Amino acid sequence: MEQMEAGLPEFPSGTEDWLTAARVAALCAEFRPDVEEEQVADEAGSCYNCRYRRWSVDSITCCKRQRPG
Amino acid sequence: MRILVSIDDTDDLESRGTGELASLIAADIETNGWGKSSFVTRHQLLVHPDIPYTSHNSAMCFAAEICADALDEVIAHASSFLARESAAGSDPGLCVAAVDGLAAPDEIMAFGRRAKESVITKEEAYAAARRLGVHLSEHGGTGQGVIGALAGAGLRLGGNDGRLKGAIPLGHPGGVISVADLSRREDVDAVRTLDGLPLDGNEMVRVGEKVKTVMLEGKAVLLVSAAAAADGPAWQTCPRQQLKRY
Repeated sequence: MEQMEAGLPEFPSGTEDWLTAARVAALCAEFRPDVEEEQVADEAGSCYNCRYRRWSVDSITCCKRQRPG
Repeated sequence: MRILVSIDDTDDLESRGTGELASLIAADIETNGWGKSSFVTRHQLLVHPDIPYTSHNSAMCFAAEICADALDEVIAHASSFLARESAAGSDPGLCVAAVDGLAAPDEIMAFGRRAKESVITKEEAYAAARRLGVHLSEHGGTGQGVIGALAGAGLRLGGNDGRLKGAIPLGHPGGVISVADLSRREDVDAVRTLDGLPLDGNEMVRVGEKVKTVMLEGKAVLLVSAAAAADGPAWQTCPRQQLKRY
């Protein structure tokens, strides 16, 4: 969590830490919801529902840092 | 004739989703008078470092009943649509499978299951498509999306994979509805518990946020779980988190 909050791309809490993912997203100015069919968290604002997250085997990665600019 | 139309790898981080493009192609089939389209399903494929994907590696598929002589037009339309509408830099793939003409239905279903567990090459996908007698084509970039497109058709044909695109509009969360009323809806074929058990029509279900159905035994199934509250209905619609594995 601290890594992601500090701007590093990887979410270290895995794929089902719903509370932390919601808390981080609430603090993130870059959060944008993904399309409906790709949302998996009940909380609308969740890193797991963000269009800038990329699923990996064990977690998600934040792609904001890969965007130009 | 019944066809499956499956697409993959059409988007990027900022574009419309692959599901929306599938819905648009499905609508075009009806608008052009070629036939009637069914719901779109989302199928999760393997997430692996050796597989290029935008953010989730999922394929989108729908079924349609079309006039047999419209098949070539449907394929041509979907092909040009994907080439035109897919995001720049994406690797779109299209599969159109005529279900009745499938040479080996078991093989396309097995291909779909394998794409959830293994890394598959484009060459393998094209070879399988030739054996099966299905249309498989790429429409930009590396064309890597043909793998997911063929897999999506196989998983849809298997009928036991994926979530349906879109939410079921059941009114305000917190409302209560009977299983009989849910089962009468056009967008719900069956109501089951998470364990797969059917429920009597007089059982009552509390409606949660963003109610969705999943595909089981070829049907749009609304899954319910035991209600958290001691008072009130015995069942509640499954939250999205419980549907993640479908």
